[in-house]
Amino acid sequence: MPKPLDKLTDEEIAKIVQSGKVEPFGVLVERYEAKITRYARKFLFNCNDAEDIVQEVFLKAYVNIQSFDTSRKFSSWLYRIAHNEFINAIKKKGKEPLPFFNPDILFPHPVSEENADKEINEKELRQMLDKCLNKLNLKYREPLALYYFEKLSYKEIADILRVPISTVGIRLQRGRQKMKLLFQKLNYHL
Amino acid sequence: MNFFNKADNDSQKSLITDKVLEKIKSGRIKMRPKAHFVLKTVLAALGFILIILFVLYLISFIVFTLRMSGIWFAPGFGFYGIKIFLFSLPWLLILTAIILIIILEILVKYFSFAYRRPILYSILGIIALVFLGSFVIGQIKIHPYLFKKSQEKHLPVAGKFYRDFGAGKFRNTHRGIVSETTDNGFLIETRHNEILKIIITSETRFPFGKDIKENDSIMILGERDNCTVRAFGVRKVDDNLNNFPRKNHGQKNPKK
Repeated sequence: MPKPLDKLTDEEIAKIVQSGKVEPFGVLVERYEAKITRYARKFLFNCNDAEDIVQEVFLKAYVNIQSFDTSRKFSSWLYRIAHNEFINAIKKKGKEPLPFFNPDILFPHPVSEENADKEINEKELRQMLDKCLNKLNLKYREPLALYYFEKLSYKEIADILRVPISTVGIRLQRGRQKMKLLFQKLNYHL
Repeated sequence: MNFFNKADNDSQKSLITDKVLEKIKSGRIKMRPKAHFVLKTVLAALGFILIILFVLYLISFIVFTLRMSGIWFAPGFGFYGIKIFLFSLPWLLILTAIILIIILEILVKYFSFAYRRPILYSILGIIALVFLGSFVIGQIKIHPYLFKKSQEKHLPVAGKFYRDFGAGKFRNTHRGIVSETTDNGFLIETRHNEILKIIITSETRFPFGKDIKENDSIMILGERDNCTVRAFGVRKVDDNLNNFPRKNHGQKNPKK
């Protein structure tokens, strides 16, 4: 007897969708819409048509699901689509400048240890992020959102942003430093 | 209440799911077939392989033309040689090779093994691969063969390319075979079937020895004045690239 859909992994469901069934795709949308919405909220602050963009992410995922390799992680693949959609939305709005090239992907960085910030109170950090994430540069905002709110690993973030793993580490480190400075400068309190 | 404030709310969740499923079921949104992605991957792989092969060909060709003209050996004559080397490089071909290497780097960045590491590593990897491959192509002597065919007019497409770049003439660099030794130098016959009179002075440099005799393949650095070259430097070159039919073999006096 086949397992019920809610007992299947994302990748197993994606495989069923690839075979032509539509309904199981609804299960994937339900599983990820809160996460993708939160990601959009952290990434595209003050964006009124974010609901349409989140919908577009899932529609793009459905259109391109045959390109998904079921031996890989569905979540990373979906977040990558979301990242691309969000970047396109920012480009369309033209509110924020997008760098043409980031020099931090060029050379190896010594600071790339995952969990190097464990001594910092994560709860406190998340509260700080809640208050001033939207004031940070896009380059730091996205990895911080993916790491602290989506709980993704350096490797997963590297796959979503298509940057070196060590760059994820350095952006998180610099992002935290910038955020703390901003926090003090704006005289925020926890 | 804006969208974000109610995003975690269950009714909102089902609303997005319903909207997505409704659009799919209505037929407005269609899944792309697997063949589309397979074709895309095959074309990308094919493009990648073709670009790699072309870059390998191009770089090995650049090295071949430099060796043929003798410019390859110019840096061995010190600062003056390096200056001539830099001024004589086929910059158009080099620029094309650089652009193709950049395209390769962009293509390779689609793969996780490349983008998970700093760009420097993938660039160095591509450059190492390209130079190693070019060296291998250089070893199989494809260019001397094609060059020979182009001179015999048996190479329809690339013939002009080989004749233009492969047999280029330079004012300061000359290659040829010693046809006769004279009191103050020697005569050489070039690939263009010219006889050049080489004048050796006390200032002429011989970085690899003075043991030069008739039928030696040599390279001379020095400014040409009509058919006379006052040699700044001379060196013997043993690379078998200078084997050409010598029409003027035995001719003693070059044109003045």
